[in-house]
Amino acid sequence: MLVYESVVVMNVISTDVLVIGSGAAGLSAAVYAANVGRQVLILDKGALGRSGSSVGAVQIAGLGDFSHPEDEPNIYLNDILDSGRGLSDPSLAKILSNEIDKRLGEIMDWGLKLDQSKDQNVLLSHTSGHRLPRSLSAKKGKTGLGILHTLRKKATKNNRITTWSDVITVELVKDGNRVIGAAVIDLTTNTPYVIQSKSTILATGGAAQLFPVTSNPVQSTGDGFALGLQAGATLIDMEQIQFYPVSVAKPASIAGLCISFYHYSKLYNANGDRFMTKYAPDTLEDATRDVLSIAIATELKEGRGPLTLDATDVIDQVKQEFPHEYQLCADQGVDLAKEPITIAPASHFMMGGVLINEYAQSDVKGLYVAGETSGGLHGGNRLGNNALSECLVFGARAGIHASYETFTKTPKYDLAKLDKFLQTKSGQHRPFEIKMLIQEVMNQFVGIIRTESGLQEALNRMNAIGQKLQNIHLSDTSTYSREVLDFIEATHMYKTADAVVHSAFQRRESRGAHYIEEYPKLQNAIMHNLFYRRQGQNELRQKEVHPNDTTSEN
Amino acid sequence: MTLQVKIDRGVTTSQYEIDWQDDMTVLNVLENIYRYHDPSIAFRFSCRTGLCTTCMMMINGKPDLSCQKKAEPSDDGFLTLSPLPKGRTIRDLIKAY
Ligand SMILES: Cc1cc2nc3c(=O)[nH]c(=O)nc-3n(C[C@H](O)[C@H](O)[C@H](O)COP(=O)(O)OP(=O)(O)OC[C@H]3O[C@@H](n4cnc5c(N)ncnc54)[C@H](O)[C@@H]3O)c2cc1C
Ligand code: FES
Repeated sequence: MLVYESVVVMNVISTDVLVIGSGAAGLSAAVYAANVGRQVLILDKGALGRSGSSVGAVQIAGLGDFSHPEDEPNIYLNDILDSGRGLSDPSLAKILSNEIDKRLGEIMDWGLKLDQSKDQNVLLSHTSGHRLPRSLSAKKGKTGLGILHTLRKKATKNNRITTWSDVITVELVKDGNRVIGAAVIDLTTNTPYVIQSKSTILATGGAAQLFPVTSNPVQSTGDGFALGLQAGATLIDMEQIQFYPVSVAKPASIAGLCISFYHYSKLYNANGDRFMTKYAPDTLEDATRDVLSIAIATELKEGRGPLTLDATDVIDQVKQEFPHEYQLCADQGVDLAKEPITIAPASHFMMGGVLINEYAQSDVKGLYVAGETSGGLHGGNRLGNNALSECLVFGARAGIHASYETFTKTPKYDLAKLDKFLQTKSGQHRPFEIKMLIQEVMNQFVGIIRTESGLQEALNRMNAIGQKLQNIHLSDTSTYSREVLDFIEATHMYKTADAVVHSAFQRRESRGAHYIEEYPKLQNAIMHNLFYRRQGQNELRQKEVHPNDTTSEN
Repeated sequence: MTLQVKIDRGVTTSQYEIDWQDDMTVLNVLENIYRYHDPSIAFRFSCRTGLCTTCMMMINGKPDLSCQKKAEPSDDGFLTLSPLPKGRTIRDLIKAY
């Protein structure tokens, strides 16, 4: 039994800006806040700067001196809005398209080198849905790693920034209507702490671990959505989950690996048909992700799987542009130069998220959100390579604007509340089993093709899982216990999954990544789903999008 | 098929016998041990695609990525795992960052 009375004061850590999560968004936020002159504490539940989706990102969309001669912010903006299926917030999209050149310029000044083509120009490549080639890369397609490396170096050199690995955020701490810090557990010692901050930035990435097959790292358990919700922030359009249409299904050891070159490869079903001729005769495999995902899921559902990707005709381009992916497949026994590979969709990206305004501010005072955890920019379909751009642009905005917060107050938080995660328990369900149950429900009923009855069933099953979460079996409470970590993550996953299922149930039309069999068409009125918590109860309301409307005015 | 696994945990060495399919990676083996044999085993990983390097450990005496390396016994009949020798070990196979 842990005793806290005398420790409460000792275990309070103070900072100006607290950044939760150290992917591209969190690290950007930290660097920009420190540049304004603030003390920053950035923490991560895994190894700092090495544990998020940013690690795996291959390219970044952007503008700059190197752009295609016809490219400019307005054209980029229109591509984002066209792709968002009416749900993309124009004010956020405008910021992205206007500010990406500046942010890219800064990170290049800090040391990021963009890959070059044979003629020594910046290598620009085409990505589905972008009308002009504007995808850039660094480190030969290990762009996310390159960005993280640059930002990590910048952060560790700055003595205003303190970094802290292996610390998980369990709850945000409030005073009235304002977030004034967070309650965390240092997993390496099992010590709980309260962090007191003038502003808090959530940058915890996505929630793709809600599904059993995913491209995402093990840390993508949707913690930020649950933390935001519990603090009173609004979640927007949580039903909009992007599946990466073409990821490896076999070999199992690399299941979920995204194949970046699908748009110039050929996809076949088990009958040998190039099935995209049926679903998208004009673009074929070069279709947007929502269209491609639904096509692939339909082929599988109607029994024409397994599906394969054939890249033998284009293997030179593959080896040049995506050498890491080619090599990974080869190492696991599939030589793409000689043979096709079995593919299936993998859950990939949360397009919904915590509602933010132009300043990356949530609707709760003191709480800012950046990167994949924020919602509204991508609407119903995120264009490829816009996620990293989002991290740079809105990470910077969050860092800068959070720096102007001055209110501070010592949190009155009872750290004993965290004991429940650190004590052995003799219930029936191990935390990892709860995670698997959530994944099963999401996979069966809330995947690419949804039905109204399936979503109803998902709601029922989620209730049952909620009860099981109260009946946990936890035997290992040593330091860095995977069971403790799984228990906290399962708690976050449950809340986030619940928000997704309710939001999906509410959208009775098929828009963007949300496809529901009973309502295959678009409704005329475009509605946002807003999910929030008031007086201990979750509520959902819909808000109509008017032309020129910005959800950030909510 | 079964696989004999030996894990160096600092003060002790633990031994496990697990169900083994030959396409399993070392990380798959560790996950199997955590779920079905020993909930207290501690190891670190993230991306599962060979990029983050946080899953690095000594595998049969050589440093390697556990998410990429196929699980195979060495000549002594065991798959032997231990933490990287450099840096501080937090517990079992986990290094401090
Ligand atoms: C394999 C893959 C390929 C991709 N390819 C591309 C691409 O080519 N181009 C592109 O633009 N996008 C791509 N994406 C998407 C893009 O990488 C992500 O959306 C983006 O990097 C997210 O960055 P982030 O900073 O918001 O979060 P992440 O990079 O996911 O970082 C979040 C961090 O928060 C930490 N964290 C989470 N919860 C907690 C908690 N409770 N307490 C403390 N810390 C916590 C995590 O450990 C993690 O380190 C890809 C994604 C994947 C998975
Ligand atoms: S888990 Fe990232 S390299 Fe192995």
